[in-house]
Amino acid sequence: MKRTKAFISAILLLSGISLGAQNLSDLRVSEIVAQNENGLVDEFGERNGWIEIFNTSSGTVRFGGCYLTDDPGNLKKYHVPTTDRTTNVGPRQSVVFHASGKSWQGSFHTNFKIGNGSTVYLVSNDGKTILDELKVPADLPADNAVVKVPAGIKKIDSEIRTTATPTPGSYNGDVDAKSNSEIMKEKDPHGWVLSLISVSVVFSALFVLSIIFRLVGNLSMKAGKKKEKPAKAAKGRKAKPGEMTPEIAAAISMALQQEFGGEVYAAIAMALDDYLGNGVHDMESFIITISPSAGSQWAAKTQNFRQLPR
Amino acid sequence: MSTVVESLKQFWYFTGFANATWQNLVMILIGILFIYIAIKKEWEPLLLVPIGFGMIVGNIPMFPGLNIGIYEDGSVLNTLYQGVKQGWYPPLIFLGIGAMTDFSALISQPRLLLIGAAAQMGIFGAYLLALALGFDPNQAGAIGIIGGADGPTAIFLSSQLAPELMGAIAVSAYSYMALVPVIQRPIMLALTTQKERLIRMPSPRQVSQKEKIIFPVVGFLLTAFIVPSGLPLLGMLFFGNLLKESGVTRRLAETARGPLIDVVTTLIGLTVGASTQADKFLSLTSIKIFGLGLTSFIIATTCGVCFVKIWNLFLKDGKKINPLIGNAGVSAVPDSARVSETVGREFDPNNHLLMHAMGPNVAGVIGSAVAAGILLGFLS
Repeated sequence: MKRTKAFISAILLLSGISLGAQNLSDLRVSEIVAQNENGLVDEFGERNGWIEIFNTSSGTVRFGGCYLTDDPGNLKKYHVPTTDRTTNVGPRQSVVFHASGKSWQGSFHTNFKIGNGSTVYLVSNDGKTILDELKVPADLPADNAVVKVPAGIKKIDSEIRTTATPTPGSYNGDVDAKSNSEIMKEKDPHGWVLSLISVSVVFSALFVLSIIFRLVGNLSMKAGKKKEKPAKAAKGRKAKPGEMTPEIAAAISMALQQEFGGEVYAAIAMALDDYLGNGVHDMESFIITISPSAGSQWAAKTQNFRQLPR
Repeated sequence: MSTVVESLKQFWYFTGFANATWQNLVMILIGILFIYIAIKKEWEPLLLVPIGFGMIVGNIPMFPGLNIGIYEDGSVLNTLYQGVKQGWYPPLIFLGIGAMTDFSALISQPRLLLIGAAAQMGIFGAYLLALALGFDPNQAGAIGIIGGADGPTAIFLSSQLAPELMGAIAVSAYSYMALVPVIQRPIMLALTTQKERLIRMPSPRQVSQKEKIIFPVVGFLLTAFIVPSGLPLLGMLFFGNLLKESGVTRRLAETARGPLIDVVTTLIGLTVGASTQADKFLSLTSIKIFGLGLTSFIIATTCGVCFVKIWNLFLKDGKKINPLIGNAGVSAVPDSARVSETVGREFDPNNHLLMHAMGPNVAGVIGSAVAAGILLGFLS
């Protein structure tokens, strides 16, 4: 019992650690405006530089406890409050921090300001691990932003650009980007390429599976033969008609496990009846009764016990 | 007096009689037809009864805004419909299918997996035809999966790729699955010779428990690594099978293949049926989908049977495969395998093909889930 508890605790601990780490590592410093003269206004009517954090994952990430800083020598410069329930960022969503230098104005106001040439670091809740960073070019004009734009097939990689049209809190990628279906319509209008690839993949997957199970089957049969040899030598005879061999037991087991309906059960029972020479059921009109040669112990007390989950 | 008349008038406006359209009545008649077929002919009654009744439920004419319709956010039906819309009913059904499927027939003759692969051609044949008819690739992919003859897979894929077509696709898939004996038999007879129908296949060997346990683990790892987008279906299918074969989780397996799958099948059938509201369902697009669905079944059956015939050219006597099990590659477990058995026994009453046909049959389930994963990866 102690071992089980310890095992479960260890698993929970490990999964918690890895999940936390995985989630936070999905955060990116995705956009920064250092000199905000005519752009985003905060809830106090002020314009400050701002920092956008983007969640690249498909799950919500809670980033309370993380740190933001512009000083590599002080990674714990601004601590995002852990008690604030709004410090969540949804899947593929972003949040904006105002670099106002007035952290008392709210969780989304940093205690430092930024300027051209600053580098903003997003630091994990351990205060040591830098999750991501973005440098503001020294010559970035006012109201322009440095952004990370999703790139590559999976849109996981990114490239850094500057833009005169900042998008605080919005997706930095091409919002007019084509869907996979539209791309396929252009590249493969008649569908032959996709069909050929798909058929090949289906065949390959099932072919490999068949090869693996041929090998597994061969190994299993070899192992089975080794085990059977001494038994056969002792017996030295063939199974008689009506005898319950492993093959017949397997056939009955398989038949009973399938939910085919009455007529198929009847067909299987009749086939077994043919094979076993009337050995399995009583000769009664329209009634098939499987009569085991040995007692089934159906009324034994152990059969009435409820099986507990393990 | 005038108040009474006004109230009665208002009541009248809320009744189904005042709001009925001929399209509603047509859909209600189709629903009744489904129920009739299910009860009278016993064609897929577990699916056609809930779907048929769902069609009636979904097409009761009503005054909009009462927050009871399936497409009205927050209504009871809408809440139940989320399992279809968000695609979490199909994986639960796959869990049950995995827990009730015995892969022994397939494990004992792994070569039969390839028949399951060949029968998936119906999916891609229908995909090509749907594109030619002007459907977008995502819609064509969702329509093509009807050829997989697997209702949960069809619902799952259409909910992800083309939710607007899901009702027609689901009804089409389940209808043709119910009609498998009618569709497949003539094709099988047309494509096979008397000599081929009499081929007797060697008895499948006994499969050890170890092999049965290894199968879901290896099968899942392999297929999921190749097509991660098929994870919800493949994962649940193989997980269910592991519950069944592990021998230590009997209660979980029994729940998955019993009460769980029954509950989900009831809900999926009812809500899919109810989603076929006349204004969204009765259209030229639906007719096209039904035509393409039938075509995909025909292509799938043809490819399955022809594949075995061609394969037989390279096999020695005694190892040849009866082409009558080729049709079973189109999933539709276990109906298509039952068709193989029935047709086979018409020509040789002592030639039982059921056990052999179950191999490609369950391979078809894996194949269609893999195909769905590929389409999802390319088109979503």
